[in-house]
Amino acid sequence: MEKRRLKEFEGTKTYVLDPELKKIVNISIALEMPLLLKGEPGTGKTLLAQAIAEDLGLALIVLNVKSNMKAVDALYQYDTLTRLNDARFGDSKRNVKNIEEYIRMGKIGQAFVSESKVVLLIDEIDKADSDFQDDLLDVLDQMSFDIIEIDKIIKAKHRPIVIITSNAKKDLSDPFLGRCNFHHIAFPDPDMMHKIIKAHFPDIEQNLANSAIKVFYQMRKVPNVEKKPSTRELINWLRALLLDPSFKTKELGKNGNVPYLGVLFKKSMDLEQAKNYLSRVENL
Amino acid sequence: MFVPFFYQLRNVGIPITPTAFLRLQKALNLGLVNSLEDFYITARTILIKSERYFDLYDKIFAQYFLGVELKSPEEKELEELVRSLLEEWLKDPKQLADFLGIDPEQLKKYSPDELIKYFLEKLKEQTERHDGGDSWIGTAGTSPVGHSGIHPGGMRVGGSSRNKSAIKVALERRWKDYAMDGPLDTSSISEALKRLRHLTPSGPKDQLNIRETIYQTVKNAGEIEIVFSPRLKDKLKVILMMDNGGWSMDPYIELCRTLFKYANDNFKQVKTYYFHNCIYDYVYEDPQRRAKPRKTLDFVREEPDTRLIIVGDASMAPYELTHDQGCIEYGEYQTKSGLHWLKFLSQTFPHSAWLNPKLKEEWKYTAGSYTIARIREIFPMFDLTLEGLEQAVNHLIKK
Repeated sequence: MEKRRLKEFEGTKTYVLDPELKKIVNISIALEMPLLLKGEPGTGKTLLAQAIAEDLGLALIVLNVKSNMKAVDALYQYDTLTRLNDARFGDSKRNVKNIEEYIRMGKIGQAFVSESKVVLLIDEIDKADSDFQDDLLDVLDQMSFDIIEIDKIIKAKHRPIVIITSNAKKDLSDPFLGRCNFHHIAFPDPDMMHKIIKAHFPDIEQNLANSAIKVFYQMRKVPNVEKKPSTRELINWLRALLLDPSFKTKELGKNGNVPYLGVLFKKSMDLEQAKNYLSRVENL
Repeated sequence: MFVPFFYQLRNVGIPITPTAFLRLQKALNLGLVNSLEDFYITARTILIKSERYFDLYDKIFAQYFLGVELKSPEEKELEELVRSLLEEWLKDPKQLADFLGIDPEQLKKYSPDELIKYFLEKLKEQTERHDGGDSWIGTAGTSPVGHSGIHPGGMRVGGSSRNKSAIKVALERRWKDYAMDGPLDTSSISEALKRLRHLTPSGPKDQLNIRETIYQTVKNAGEIEIVFSPRLKDKLKVILMMDNGGWSMDPYIELCRTLFKYANDNFKQVKTYYFHNCIYDYVYEDPQRRAKPRKTLDFVREEPDTRLIIVGDASMAPYELTHDQGCIEYGEYQTKSGLHWLKFLSQTFPHSAWLNPKLKEEWKYTAGSYTIARIREIFPMFDLTLEGLEQAVNHLIKK
C-alpha cells in the first residue's frame, strides 16, 4: 500500500467544509479515485477543487467541459495547421519531420506530465455527450493515454487528485459512475449557511446575518421559480446590503421589504414571482 | 465484511457492483474508517452512485445497524459473492486482481472451480483478519453498539447538529426528496423535465460535415477523409390527453401542464385535450370540456408518428369503460363504448403511453383495478413518478 504523503484536506479560510464532505474527499484521495460531485448550482462544487488545491499546496488544472468537446481535445492536440505552415514556408525553428513538436497537451495531458502532483478539476462533465465520458473512462482508470500520431504513451507521473462536477443535466453512464466515488452536495442548511457567511464576512453583525439568512431561506421558498437563489446570490446580496448606507437591519423583511431583489432573482419571470409573493406576505 | 449489508442494498434494488464493494474493503484496510459515522459516509460515497438512492441507503443503513445484530458472513453468502466476483473477473481480470492484490498471471492457471475456492479462501482470510483486528470496528463487527460512544438509539453526541451518530443521520432521511419512488410533485418537476427532454429523436448519420471533413483531410495529409454527422430530425409532435374530471386528478393536471409547457421547446407541437374518466366520441380543448369539442374520430388525420400521452387514473366504474352508453357526463353524445375509442386511439397512434398518478403498486388493489387492468391491455401504462416517466419516455422514443 502506498504511503500517504499528503496531509489530510482540512478546508480553507473561505471554504467552509462540511465534515461529511471532508471525509469523502480524504477517502477519495487515499483510494486515488476520482470524486464525482453533483448538486444544484451554487453549492460550491467547483470551489471545492480550488480549496483542495490551496489547502494541500498543489497546483490546480481546470478542464472546463464544453458541449462540443471531444475527449481527445482534453488530452492533446496535434497542431496540423502550424505544421503545414512550417512545411510550406520553413521559417520556424521547429523540425517539421518531428511530429512531436506539434503536439500540445490538453488539460488532462498537462496534469499527467506535471512534475508534481496536481488537482485536476473536470468541470461540468455532463455538458458534453456521453461519448466524452466513455472515452475518458480508460484514461482516468489507467491514468495514461496514447498519442496516436506519434504512438507514444503518456503516463501520469503522479496520479492527480481528480474532482469531477456535474449539474446532472444528463445522467452519467453506469461504467463511468462505477469508476468514481460519488457525492451529492445538498443545499446548505441555515446553520451551515451561518458559517459560510461568517467565512466571507468575518465582521458582519450577528443581527444582520440572522435576518438576512432567514429572509434568504424564505425567498428560496417562493413558488414557481425557475432558478432559486443560491449561496452566490446570498453573498452578493449581503454585499449590496452592506454597501447601502440607508439600509436598516430591523426593517429587513418587515412588510415585505426586501431590497435588491434583483440580486437574488436573476430571471425576470422569477423576479415577478418574488415580488408577487412579497406583496402577499406581511412579515417574513 | 458486511456481506449481508451489501446484499441488503442490492436486494432493494440499488445497483452496486462487487468491484465497488471490494473497493470499500480496500478503504477499510487503509485504516480510513474509524467509527460508524465514517463507515456511513465511506460506504455511501463508494457504493452509491446517485443521490436518488441516498434515501434508500439511509433506510437500509438504519435498519441494518439499528435493528439486527450483525452476523458474521455465512459460508453460503460468501459463495454467492464469490460467484459474482467470478463474473466480474471474466469482464475485467486485471482490475479485480489489483483489488485483491494477486497476480493475474498466476490465476490464469486455475480452473473455474479452483478459482472459486481460491476466492473463497481469500475472502475468509479477509473476514478473519477484520474480525480479529482492532483497527476500526473490531469485535464491533458483530455489533456496532457501544463503539466510540455511539448510543444504539442514535442519540446525538456533541453539540453541533452535524455531529450526529450515523444512524441518527440515516434516520433523518435527508435525501428523501431525491428518491425516485413517490408521485411527482412540483419539487421534482425539474428532474421530471430532464427525463422528458430525452424525448427527442436523432437522425441517421448522413449529412456531410464540411468543417470536420476539411480538418480530417488536412490531418490525413490531404487524403480525402469524409465525415458525416447525424441529420437534424424533425422534433416530435405530442398529443396530451388529460382526465380532469375528478378532484383526485387536480394536482396532477396542473403538474403535467407545467411539465409539458416547459418542455415545449423540445417538441414540434404539443396539443392538449381533456376528458372525464374515459374517452368517448369527443375530447375537449378547453378544461371546462364545453366550448371546443373535437371528434375523437378526427385524430385519424393526425400524423401517425405523433406521440400520444394520456394522463389519467384509469379508475372508473366498469360500465363507463365497456358499455355503449357508459358515459356519466350528462348530455354527452355517445355512440360506442370507451373501450372502443381507446382501442381506436392506440391503433391510430402506435407510439402511445398512459401515465397514471396512482402508484404502480396500487394498481392491482385500488378501487379501479378492473378498469386499470383493461386499459393496460390497450396502452402501456406507467406511473407518474420519475422512474415511470423515464420508462415512458424510453418507450415513446422507440421507433
